[in-house]
Amino acid sequence: MAILNKKSKVSDEVPTSSTADIAFLLLIFFLVTTVFPKDMGLQVVLPEEQEQVEVSQRNILHIIVQPSGIVDVRRGESQQVQQLRPADIQGLWRQEVAANPNLIASVRTHPEAAYRFMVDVLDALQGAGAERISLQILE
Amino acid sequence: MLKSGGFERKSKTSSEVPTSSLADIAFLLLIFFMVTTVFRSTQDRPITWPSAEAAERIDEKRENIIHVWVESNGDVWLNDRLTPMENVRQIVAPLYAQSDRRLVVSIRADVDVAYARVHQLQQQLQRAGAVRVVFATELERRMTRERR
Repeated sequence: MAILNKKSKVSDEVPTSSTADIAFLLLIFFLVTTVFPKDMGLQVVLPEEQEQVEVSQRNILHIIVQPSGIVDVRRGESQQVQQLRPADIQGLWRQEVAANPNLIASVRTHPEAAYRFMVDVLDALQGAGAERISLQILE
Repeated sequence: MLKSGGFERKSKTSSEVPTSSLADIAFLLLIFFMVTTVFRSTQDRPITWPSAEAAERIDEKRENIIHVWVESNGDVWLNDRLTPMENVRQIVAPLYAQSDRRLVVSIRADVDVAYARVHQLQQQLQRAGAVRVVFATELERRMTRERR
């Protein structure tokens, strides 16, 4: 008799107390593993259409990007052309801007030149802290 | 007559903080983040990214950034569609107005594309009034470097 009447003491409910932990683990897992692609790039502000500014030749550093990737550098009115690699522009700009703080970089790229060479030159200029940069196409 | 005095009676209210609703709160948080997360809606085009050391993060809300792809053969892709160069202006101009003049155009051009193509794109953007332009550079390499 005593054996038949004995009830099991084990609970027949599914334990739910750990659901919160599981949910938080899921939450933390997704928060940690979600990778947002960061948009990175070289930022420029284009001039408004028809916007033209007269600049003295003394304050211009002409940078001409050739299709080969070689960069011709000419100072203002001077006819002397210096041929450089895009990476050398950074050092050159630092020197030049120290001598003339009003200097503007006029980057003219050959229409057939690969985009990468223009980016390399822009990278070098921005890396050297240049803010006044003009981007044009070589005509 | 009080039986064994009123002081010994124990309160039947549980002294534990109810934790049964924690799961609901956690799931609500989970759902909130899942719903509010906005993923990039445009598909990536196959391009070779340029790299630049001076590249900076674009300091603008994601919805105010539009990506224009220029493939190595010169094809321009905008909003997942192959777009003729002369139509870029018509597409960008209303977006620029909608964004309260905050629109940033991210030019994602292949390293080998001729500069003339990028220049044409710049002219189209200028005509649309969208003057804030970013020459997008490689994402992955910088991200792995940051992680290290």
